[in-house]
Amino acid sequence: MWSHRIAVSYARQLLAGVALVFIAFALLPLHASTQSVYPADAGESIRDAFFDAQMELPYDAKIAQQKLADAHTAYQSVLMVTFAADVPELNQRLQMGFSEAQDALVAKDGVRFAAARATVWTTILAGSYAIVEQALKKGDGHTARLWLSLREFRQATRFSHPDTDATVAVDDVIAKKISFADALVSVHADLLDTYQARLTDALHELTVPGNSGFPIKYAEQSALAEGYFTILAPIYGQQRGQKALMQVQQALQNIHQAAVEGKDLDPSLTVVEDAIQNFRAAPLSVTQRTRRIGQLFRFLSLIPIEYGRGVSNGVVTRDFEIREAITFHDGAEAAFADLQNLFNERNASKTQQAKRLLTALAPKLEAATSGKQVVAPDTIQTTTQQLTMLLKEIIPSEWQQQDSNGDFDVITSMLDQMVAAVARKEYDQAEAARLEAYSTLETGPEARLTAFAPQMIKPIEDLFWYGQDKHKGLAYLISHKASLREIRATCDALDIELAVAQKAIMDSNTPFAVAVNAAVIVFREGLESVLILASLMGSLKHSSTRRYQRPLWLGAVLALIATVLTWLLMRDILVSFARYGESLEAIISVIAIAVLLLVTNWFFHKVYWTGWIAQFHSQKRRLLSAEAGQWVGLILLGLTSIYREGFETVLFLQALVLDAGTGVVLSGVGLGLLGAFTIGVIIFILQFKLPYKKMLIVTGIMIGIVLLIMVGNTVQVFQVVGWLPIHMLGFVQFPYWTGLWFGLYATWEGILLQVAAATFVVGSYVLAECQQKRRNNDGNTKSVIPSVKEKSLIVSSVVQ
Amino acid sequence: MKLRYFSCSTCFVLIMLVLFTACGSQENSQTDKDKQAKLDNVKNYLLEQTGTLDTYSRQLKDAADSYYLLAKNDNFDYTKLVSLQHQQILVALQSARKAWMLASPNYERMEGIVAGVPSLSKYDNILDAGVSGREGGDDIAQVDLTLPTGKVLQKPGNLFGVLEGTLWGTEPTFTVANTFFDYDNNGKQDFGDILPSPDVLKSAADAMSSYVVELQVAAKQWQPTLTDAFSALIGNVPTVSDFFDSWKTSRFVAGNASTQRDFAVISRLSDIVGNITSWQTIYQGLSPLARTVDANQDTRITKGLTNLKTYVQNIEKKENNGHRFTPQEADLFSNEARQRATAITGDISQEAAKLNVKVAE
Repeated sequence: MWSHRIAVSYARQLLAGVALVFIAFALLPLHASTQSVYPADAGESIRDAFFDAQMELPYDAKIAQQKLADAHTAYQSVLMVTFAADVPELNQRLQMGFSEAQDALVAKDGVRFAAARATVWTTILAGSYAIVEQALKKGDGHTARLWLSLREFRQATRFSHPDTDATVAVDDVIAKKISFADALVSVHADLLDTYQARLTDALHELTVPGNSGFPIKYAEQSALAEGYFTILAPIYGQQRGQKALMQVQQALQNIHQAAVEGKDLDPSLTVVEDAIQNFRAAPLSVTQRTRRIGQLFRFLSLIPIEYGRGVSNGVVTRDFEIREAITFHDGAEAAFADLQNLFNERNASKTQQAKRLLTALAPKLEAATSGKQVVAPDTIQTTTQQLTMLLKEIIPSEWQQQDSNGDFDVITSMLDQMVAAVARKEYDQAEAARLEAYSTLETGPEARLTAFAPQMIKPIEDLFWYGQDKHKGLAYLISHKASLREIRATCDALDIELAVAQKAIMDSNTPFAVAVNAAVIVFREGLESVLILASLMGSLKHSSTRRYQRPLWLGAVLALIATVLTWLLMRDILVSFARYGESLEAIISVIAIAVLLLVTNWFFHKVYWTGWIAQFHSQKRRLLSAEAGQWVGLILLGLTSIYREGFETVLFLQALVLDAGTGVVLSGVGLGLLGAFTIGVIIFILQFKLPYKKMLIVTGIMIGIVLLIMVGNTVQVFQVVGWLPIHMLGFVQFPYWTGLWFGLYATWEGILLQVAAATFVVGSYVLAECQQKRRNNDGNTKSVIPSVKEKSLIVSSVVQ
Repeated sequence: MKLRYFSCSTCFVLIMLVLFTACGSQENSQTDKDKQAKLDNVKNYLLEQTGTLDTYSRQLKDAADSYYLLAKNDNFDYTKLVSLQHQQILVALQSARKAWMLASPNYERMEGIVAGVPSLSKYDNILDAGVSGREGGDDIAQVDLTLPTGKVLQKPGNLFGVLEGTLWGTEPTFTVANTFFDYDNNGKQDFGDILPSPDVLKSAADAMSSYVVELQVAAKQWQPTLTDAFSALIGNVPTVSDFFDSWKTSRFVAGNASTQRDFAVISRLSDIVGNITSWQTIYQGLSPLARTVDANQDTRITKGLTNLKTYVQNIEKKENNGHRFTPQEADLFSNEARQRATAITGDISQEAAKLNVKVAE
């Protein structure tokens, strides 16, 4: 009985417990639902409800009242708890705002209601901003992300898009990619910039003549202006002092009051406009600072280059070059303006001096373009050099890290100029600007892209030059005087590719990354040359032919000297010729292919060579001797196979030197050369160990493959510069690495010419074989591939 | 043996070096994201709308041809035409007007996509967004009209605008001068009681039909990407404020004081609703992917577009019920629409940033 009682008791308790748990779970969603409304959603609800109340006020006071009550409920249920805890003074201000709105509603005063509505909204924004700031300072990324959505953006238009820096920064800090301090800087920069823009918009609305007939709008905008400024006030106070801050706050209060009362705003409006002139609330983030400094140095360096191109013997010969110089000067001034406060903190007197030098350039450039006075390019060069030296004294070295974002900015600037020139139907100038943009790419980011994002190079080149894909290349369009719309469309597509490329190489400027970059470039560009040379060197191993290694070495050494000389040229000169880089590569490539074909033919088909030489044996004194011809051919092969890529490789390496210094780059070059050299040695040894016939076959195949790759790449370069048309295969796309490694591009020209090259080589070999067989059948016993002894006899007879 | 070993090692080293140096940034993962988003429905929607537009534009062309033939048969003697062929003209012109009034909102329902996609945007310029050469600026409609007489109208403006101006007389130069045509037979010259110029009507209708076919072909070839979709939204949602600005100065608000040629027949508000529908369609394609990075923001965007549409529809409903808004009210509505559009655009931009999608500038 006792156990039965206990069992029943336990059963009852158990049932009660289950019931309690059930009830708890049933209530949980209800509780959760009141907590699950996000601050941004609540903010939107409040704004919408206030607006609805505003519009209903003249027609239906009851509905207006209901809407106001909805707004208040939304605030109390979602935002108030956090506001009361974290930003109590703003919570108080909000309660006063709601009260003011209620009074205005009762009085059916739409003007006062509009002002109260704006005050409530901007106070909510101020509260959200403060909560995000506090959360980041405490190291709470999730709270920051939650409240960050309750914000405004700069007015979006078809052409200007909302910023995303704050969102990205908070996500990055949660993902532990950046520090909380850096995230805070980005958030400050984004939000303060936004609210300063909104303040400017609100003040502007107060000056539009048509708006004076809209008292509700006046009241709303004046209250918005006052509200936005409360968010900026702490920064303003820091920069301009407390006295100036109080003056502005008083003036904004006066504007608010005057707008509500329907009085004149002008005196106070003028005070505010003067006070915020040259005021910049948003601090530069680390990225923005680096970018601005990069822009400043880059633009300054380009001013004398452009000016020098446009002036000759004291006369302006190319006006658009002077205009480009002015554009870069404007860009440098804009970057300097953004950095001036930072520089002043470091060294006010030198900053003022720098500003004077920068400002002094403007009238000289303007005078040249107007024809009044043309100063010598040296004068401009000297001024910019002085200015650069001064800036380097002001700016700490860790801030001066070269930023390829500056290069992308220059590219964008030149493309804008190109579009502007097309709009004026000045296609020559558009082409000049396009080349300028491209050479900036060549001498800047392309080096990094080659190593870290090679798949992006071809799409960018196609869009810059003669691409025939969805968007035709800019060079093609300009040469065909295409419409502004078409050119803009290609520019838009190019902007996207450049932006993706910019992101891809964003973190690739550490010393290690730069060294790896250099190694990869040298190894990849050098591999082709090494394959040709090592194959031939290895096959010229016998005593009778060993001397032909000498001209190959000589050609290689000459190429290396030429490459070193190119390296030693001033970078400015290289930059000037960068626009011709592709053309130079194309010409040298053609020479390389021709020489390779010739030498290959000579190497494998001695019978032709000797037969040909025998016919002219009686005339050998009058002709260039065959031996000399062979030497010239081999020297040329050594030279062109290395220097073919030498110019562009040097340009890339120079760009990397600017990032990380000569030492780092040379270490990477050494590594790359070591890699290429190792491959060469391996091939050489392999061939050395092979039996002669097998060696010839292996060499033949290797050289044949390299020949096909060279043909494919040369065709591609020809197509880039527009010397060959582009007809896409269409039915197939090749991945980027087939072009990178095998010269295989999905164009008819490329494929057909590679097939033709292969046919030529294979065909001539087959022809030689057939001829040899015929001779054998006729009783001739000459071998197609002469023995070593026969070769040496042939060569000696030629020499004699 | 040693040689084989050596050769194998060499090959291995070569392959490793090739793989190492072929390594590039993994930035090119856009294709995977494109697959995750359901962008096919955006294309299907566009093809459906262009198909419908093709039908309406052909109807418009047929009606314009009928009218032209009637005028030609009477040697363009309009007095004679009106008196002898009144009923036939009425049928032809009413048919043309009806086709236009069906085509216009139909186009608005896809305009958000057409205008936002770089490979299609030229058609928006030609069909609906471009201005006349006389107005100037960067957005001149890139179309000339060759009349049956051989005369060329240089850059008369976008085709919907030209047709509206011709059919309802909002562009007097596109009508037959000094000719009253009583559509509703009430004896009074009301708005639209004009005779369109048969030449202009025919050439504009022909051009529209032709460009709609081109647009269909271009739409079939279009492979939507995330960049297309996000760019279309971020570039176009803010245009709500442009539409409202146009509405504020239209006949529907400014009344007879309005000097606007376009949107005198159908309110701009209807235009906005159509555009928002196309934006909603685009965003539906993005939503599955957007939810993977921020479900709440995705919900907010979806809700924002729905609320924006409701907001405009409510104003339109009041307008259709005869309410005439004051200029101040219209301005307030316009400002509020701009705020809401900016908020939605802001959310969409953040979403694009979280997904690492590059947006066209």
